Amino acid sequence: MTDMFHLGWFLNFVADEWNGNWGDGGRDFTGDFYVEMAKDLERAKFDYVLIEDKLMVSTAYGGTMEHDLKHGVNPKHDPVPLAVLMAAATTRLGVVPTMSTSFYPPFLLARLCSTIDHIARGRFGWNVVTSGEDRSAQNFGMDKLYEHDERYAMASEYLEVVSKLWESWEPDAIERDYMTGTYANYKKVHTIDFEGKYYKSRGPLNTAPSPQYRPTIAQAGASPPGRELAAQHADTIVAPANGVEAMKAYRDDIHARMKANGRDPAHCKLLYLVTPIVADTHEEALAKQERWFNDPLYIEYMLAEISSITEIDFAQFDLDEPVPPDVSTNGERGALESFLARGKGKTLRQIVTGSGLSGNVPFVGTPAEVADEMGAVMDEVGGDGYLITSPVMRLNRRYVTEITDGLVPELQKRGLVRSEYTTTMLRDHLREF
Amino acid sequence: MADKRLHFGWFMNFTANEWNTPFGNDGNPWNGKFYIEMAQAMEKACFDYIMIENTLMVAEAYGGNSEVYLKYATMAPKHDPAPLAAIMAAATSKMGVVATMSTTFYPPFLLARLASTLDSIAEGRFGWNIVTSGEDGSAQNFGMDKLTEHDLRYDIADEYVDLVCQLWNSWEEGAVIRDQETNTYADFKKVHAIHFAGKYFKSRGPLNTVRSPQGQPTFVQAGGSPKGRQFAAKYADSIIAVANGVEGMKAYRDDVRARAAAQGRNPDDIKVLFVVSPVLGTTEAEAWARKKAAAEDPAFFEQSLASISSVTDIDFSQFELDEPLPELETNGERGSLDKFAQWGSGKTLRQLVLDAGGTSDSIELVGTPDQVADKIGEAMAEVGGDGFLISTQRVSKQYITEICDGLFPALQRKGLARTEYAHAHLRDTLREF
Repeated sequence: MTDMFHLGWFLNFVADEWNGNWGDGGRDFTGDFYVEMAKDLERAKFDYVLIEDKLMVSTAYGGTMEHDLKHGVNPKHDPVPLAVLMAAATTRLGVVPTMSTSFYPPFLLARLCSTIDHIARGRFGWNVVTSGEDRSAQNFGMDKLYEHDERYAMASEYLEVVSKLWESWEPDAIERDYMTGTYANYKKVHTIDFEGKYYKSRGPLNTAPSPQYRPTIAQAGASPPGRELAAQHADTIVAPANGVEAMKAYRDDIHARMKANGRDPAHCKLLYLVTPIVADTHEEALAKQERWFNDPLYIEYMLAEISSITEIDFAQFDLDEPVPPDVSTNGERGALESFLARGKGKTLRQIVTGSGLSGNVPFVGTPAEVADEMGAVMDEVGGDGYLITSPVMRLNRRYVTEITDGLVPELQKRGLVRSEYTTTMLRDHLREF
Repeated sequence: MADKRLHFGWFMNFTANEWNTPFGNDGNPWNGKFYIEMAQAMEKACFDYIMIENTLMVAEAYGGNSEVYLKYATMAPKHDPAPLAAIMAAATSKMGVVATMSTTFYPPFLLARLASTLDSIAEGRFGWNIVTSGEDGSAQNFGMDKLTEHDLRYDIADEYVDLVCQLWNSWEEGAVIRDQETNTYADFKKVHAIHFAGKYFKSRGPLNTVRSPQGQPTFVQAGGSPKGRQFAAKYADSIIAVANGVEGMKAYRDDVRARAAAQGRNPDDIKVLFVVSPVLGTTEAEAWARKKAAAEDPAFFEQSLASISSVTDIDFSQFELDEPLPELETNGERGSLDKFAQWGSGKTLRQLVLDAGGTSDSIELVGTPDQVADKIGEAMAEVGGDGFLISTQRVSKQYITEICDGLFPALQRKGLARTEYAHAHLRDTLREF
C-alpha cells in the first residue's frame, strides 16, 4: 500500500486571472484573492502554501519589458506581508514566503522570520533562494549577480549566521517572573559575535524565541551546490518532477547528502512541482489541456517567463526548431534543465505546448484518474508529496476549487493525503508521516 | 463655529504589553492579537494613525549589559513592525497604519517594494516612519563597527528618499490597463527604469509592484536636531515632535513650518503631532495619585535612565541622581537628549527623570477626561496646531480603554477630535483639516 504523501501549493503574488473565461481579477493587490485561497487550502488540509518571488521586471524576452508586463509576469508583490495575512486568516496551514539571501541583510531577515513565526503560531516557513537574475542585482546597486556557485557559498554562511541569531535566545529566556519583576533573563540571551567571510553580526536578535525556534526551511536546490544547501538545512524541498526516474534519482541523491551531513532523511520532505488538470470527464480534461497549451498567448507568456528566470532571450529561437544544445545560465539552472528536459530534439513549440509549465509528469483526467496516477507515481518515487501549481501560471477560483474540492477528496478517499491536521506547527506537519 | 479639530496618533512599539501589574495582560502579544485589538479600539475613537516605532538591537548602553533592558522588557524583545502593520491594516478600514523602517539598514529597493505592497494591502492607509537609526548596537548587528556620523546619516537618508520616491513613481498612473482586447495587463510604455546612480545608492528599476493607492506612502518623521528638522520639513506629511511645554511646542512648530515654506512646501501639508502621556482618573485626585505612584516605583528611575541611555548610547548609570548632568554629546538621537537634559536648567538628574515622566512628554496631562481634554484644547489654541501622539511606556487594555472610551469622547464633545473619517487614504485624512 502506498504511504500517505504531503501536499503544498506553489504560487506567486501576481494578478489573479483577469482575461480568461473564469476570472475578472488583477484589479487590486489587497491580497484578498490569495487570503481566500489560503482558507481553501486549509480546508483541503494542505501542509503549506509557498509564495515564490522575484525582484525585477524582466527585459530578457525580446529586450524590453513589454511581454513581462503584458502577460502580468509582473507586477509581483512582496510575499512577506501576504504570508502574514494568510497566517492571520488560518490556523493550521503553513505559510512559506520566499526571501533572497542575496538581498536581505541577515539580521533583518532573521528578525522578520521570528516575528512572523510568532504571528503564525509556529506555521512559518522561509523559502531560501539566492536569486538568479542580474536585473535583480541591478535594482540593488550591483552590476550583476555573484557567480552561481559563489552565491551558494554565501547562502551557506548566511544560513549559519541567521541560525545563530535564532539561537541567541535560549528557549526559556523569557521568564515573566512576577516576584522579581523580570521579563527576560539576560543571562540566557547571548551575543553571537559572528564574523564570517561574507557576513558579520554581533547579535543577539531582539525578538522573543519563536514557537518553532527556527522557521521551517524550504529550498529548491537543483544544481550540486543547491542540493548540498538543501541537504544541510531544508525541512522541505521544491523538487522538479522530471519523470519518475529522475525524481527517484533526485530523492536518492538528497537522502545520501543528508546522511553525509548527519541528518535523518525523514526530516526533509521532497515535494514535486506538478500541474494537474482535472475535469468531469477524461476527454474534457484532455480538451482543456489542448486548449490551454496551444493558445498563442500562452506560448508567448511561457517563453517570457522562462526567459525571465534564466535571462536567456527565448525570442531569438525559432519556435519550430529544437533549442540549441549550448544554452546555459547563471540564473536558475534547475528551471532551465527542467524546461529543456521535456523533449530532447523537440522543437521549442513542442516543448511549450506539449506539457505545460512543469508537466514532465502530466496528470490529466478526472479527479479519480488523477488521484490514482498521483498515487502510482509516488509509489514508484518513494515520497514525499506534491507541490501543486497552476498549469497556466495564472490562478482563478475555478482551478483552485477543482483541486481542493475535486482532486483532494479523491486523494483523501484513497488514504493518500491527510484528512485532518493532527499537529499545529509546520515542521510537525511535515514530520507527521 | 470654527473647526477646532486636532489630529491624533498613537506612538507605540511591538514590545511586551503590561504584564506585571494588577491590570496587566499577559506580556505575550507576539501573535499580534493584542495590538490588532488596540488598533480596532483606536479606529472606533477615530485616530488618524497608529505608529509602530522600531529599533534593531538589544540595548546595553545602561550599565554595559542587557540586564535592565531585558528585565523590564522596555526595549527588547521588540518585534518587526512591518508584519504587524500588515495585519493591523487588514483588521481596520479607515485608520492609518505607520511602520518604522530605517534608511540605514533596509536596501532601498526592498523597502520601496515592501511599502508599496503594504499600501496596496492597506488600500492607501500605509505610512512610513523614516528613521536613520541612532545606535551603534544596531549597526553592529548589520556588520558595521559603528553607525555613520549623525549629519552624514541625514545626507544619506536624503538621497535614499529621493531614490525610493523615484521607484514609487516608476509606474505611471494608469499603467495597469487590463485590456481584454489586446490581452495586455500593464502597458510597458508607462513603466520606466530609473537608472538611479547617486553618491550612496544605485538602482536600475522599475519597481515590480503596481503603483500603490497613495502613489507613495504617507511620510512620518521625527527630526529633532537642525539636520533632522530640515529633513522632516522637506518630506514629512506628519512629524512626531517632543518639545518642552507650550512655548517649546510653538517654537518647534513655527520652525519646521518656516523650513517647509522655505523649501517651497505648503506648511499646512505637514501635521506636527506632539508626544504626550495623559494620566487619567475618575477624579482629579485619583489621576494625580496614579501619576505619583508611577514616579515612586523604584523601577521607574532605572527604566527611564535605561531608556534615555539606549537612544543616546550614553551610560546614564554612571551619573549621580542628585547632581546636575555634565555636558554630553551623542551620535544617536540628539533631539531626545536635548529634550531630556534641559541644558542650562541646573536641574538634578532625579528632577530630569521626574520631569520626563518616563516618556517624552511635551506637556503634562493629568486629570479627569474632561480636564485633560480642556488642557489639550488650550495648549493647541496657543501652539496653533496640529495635534498629539499618545505614548506610554507600556500599554494595557485598561489604558487603551481610558484613552479611547474616556478621553476621546470628551475631546469629541468639545469639538477637538474627529467623530468620523471623511477620506479613504491616510494622507487625505491628515489634510482634511
